[in-house]
Amino acid sequence: MRGFHKPISSRQWGLSALLLVGAVALPFVASPFELRLAQQILLFGGLAVAWNLLGGFTTYWSFGHAAFFGLGAFAAGLLGQQLGPEVPVALRLVLGLLFAMAVTLAAAVAVALPVLRLRGIYFAIAMLAFAQILGEVSKTFDVFQGAIGFTLPILKVPGLAKVQLFYFLFLVFLMVCIGLFVVMRRSRLGVGLTCIGQDEDTAAMLGVPTERYKLTAFVISAVLTAVGGVLYSYSLGFMTADTVFRIDISLNLILYSMVGGIGTVAGPIIGAAIMILLTQVVLGDLLDLHMLVTGAVLVAMVTLAPKGLIGLVRDMRRRREETTVEEGAAS
Amino acid sequence: MTGTLFLQTLVDGLILGGIFSLSAVGFSLIFGVLGVVNLSHGIFVLLGAYLGLALKEAWGIDPLMAIPLVFGALFVLGGLVQITLVSGAVRRGSLMSSLLITFGVSLMLRDLIILVFGPDVQSLSSSWLFDTFRIGGVIVDGARASGLIASLLSLGLLSYVLYRSKVGRAMRATAQQDFAAGLCGIDVKKIYAMTFGVSAGFAGVSGIIVGLINPFTPFDDTHWTLNAFVTVVLGGVGSPVGALLGGLMLGGISTFSSQYVGSLYPNVFIFGALLLMLIVRPNGLLGNAYKGSV
Repeated sequence: MRGFHKPISSRQWGLSALLLVGAVALPFVASPFELRLAQQILLFGGLAVAWNLLGGFTTYWSFGHAAFFGLGAFAAGLLGQQLGPEVPVALRLVLGLLFAMAVTLAAAVAVALPVLRLRGIYFAIAMLAFAQILGEVSKTFDVFQGAIGFTLPILKVPGLAKVQLFYFLFLVFLMVCIGLFVVMRRSRLGVGLTCIGQDEDTAAMLGVPTERYKLTAFVISAVLTAVGGVLYSYSLGFMTADTVFRIDISLNLILYSMVGGIGTVAGPIIGAAIMILLTQVVLGDLLDLHMLVTGAVLVAMVTLAPKGLIGLVRDMRRRREETTVEEGAAS
Repeated sequence: MTGTLFLQTLVDGLILGGIFSLSAVGFSLIFGVLGVVNLSHGIFVLLGAYLGLALKEAWGIDPLMAIPLVFGALFVLGGLVQITLVSGAVRRGSLMSSLLITFGVSLMLRDLIILVFGPDVQSLSSSWLFDTFRIGGVIVDGARASGLIASLLSLGLLSYVLYRSKVGRAMRATAQQDFAAGLCGIDVKKIYAMTFGVSAGFAGVSGIIVGLINPFTPFDDTHWTLNAFVTVVLGGVGSPVGALLGGLMLGGISTFSSQYVGSLYPNVFIFGALLLMLIVRPNGLLGNAYKGSV
């Protein structure tokens, strides 16, 4: 756990600022197809960072984050239906976001109290089951009209195309996720969570308030995921149970984190970029092979580089440093 | 009339439960012996069904006659998956990595099934399967009857192997403590591979029976993996009796909720039961705390 309290260096600030400028400039030079790819990378990269707020520090790996993604989207959709047509779209979106966050906050606390008592595989599967139940419930009860879904109004801002607008919304979403992750990692909460990840019983014995820390991380992660669900649904313009309660969303968040490096800021985003580019561009015409390649990448990463690409690079750098030190000592 | 309806629901539940038990017993075995949650279990079930389909279409072999062939093929495949991929994850001692590896395997196999057989709905049914029997007002058709008989026979056979044979004793010893089993001269690696093979074999056999009763698509594997997990959590890890008990409960919950509450509700009830059991008694009713349970 090197560098926990190391201040962010001016080089890191500079690099971040450069990346941000590049990201803001992109929509004015890229083609619509490229922008749509970038949108996906921003959104799912942000969601993967949000997943890492709990799964990155501890071994509480949620296999059902699509539950919150869908919950948020449905909360916003149902609220939108109640509002009259005179409410402008932007206000609708903001109210929908607030309502989705409130609903998810309550639901996440209610679910976390029993589920966070489970550990490891049992937690993972309980979350998977929770997501399945929510998906089924939304389709079964007519009030939620999950099978038919909702049509969402089109958000318009003068001077920006729809693709550009949602690009910026997703960019803001990603920035918020990154900001929360960085702040959390440097706070007492993040250190406590890392202790929980290493040995929960010892952490509890040493006075880390494990239950409260786990709950906090779980709820923040869930609420961010719900925000992602609302934004995603507005960018599509419609939603049904099948567009949001998708088991592949839950699993992709883990896959992206795994590819880049679990528990790092850049890892999940790099992972999302690699996997989305790989499936959408390299294999764009070979839809049949997507699952095969995704599965193969997953198996290869877990077997060969369980700490992800970032872990791989760090290991190589450390090994090189060690050899230089040895050579220096020998001469 | 309500009495007959109740009886019919009960019989349907028991038959469905028998199939759930058979489809879950391999999952339970791997969970008990290796401590691995095998997310590729559902795809092994489907592979059994698709192999049965291929044998039927290529050489006209009746699905029930194809059971030994399917068992053999999946035994080899399961063993290979364990030796090449899962063993590394188990050696590193990370249960999460085994979860991810088996999920990756299931994605690849599902894609291969789609490439070979296409994404459409398939079925294994033959005409004789639709003959119905009537026993005191309760209707049972040939497919379900043969499915139940095959399930019980297979579970009995597995129990015999586990509790009466040398290999079975070695498996149970490895499940209790692999290190001590190794000290006693058991080739633990071989037992791990055997367990995976037997598990995949039974999954394949259950796949044939599933195919006789219901149509299937390449996307059903999550359903069967989750069912197996629920069955194991309800019944208990690592024993055929636990799987039978859990499967029968699952079948009962499923048919009674769809008969008396509504045909859309079974999954809600099943997952509700799962969450309840996980919280109240995560080792299952028979409470066999092998290494799979934390």
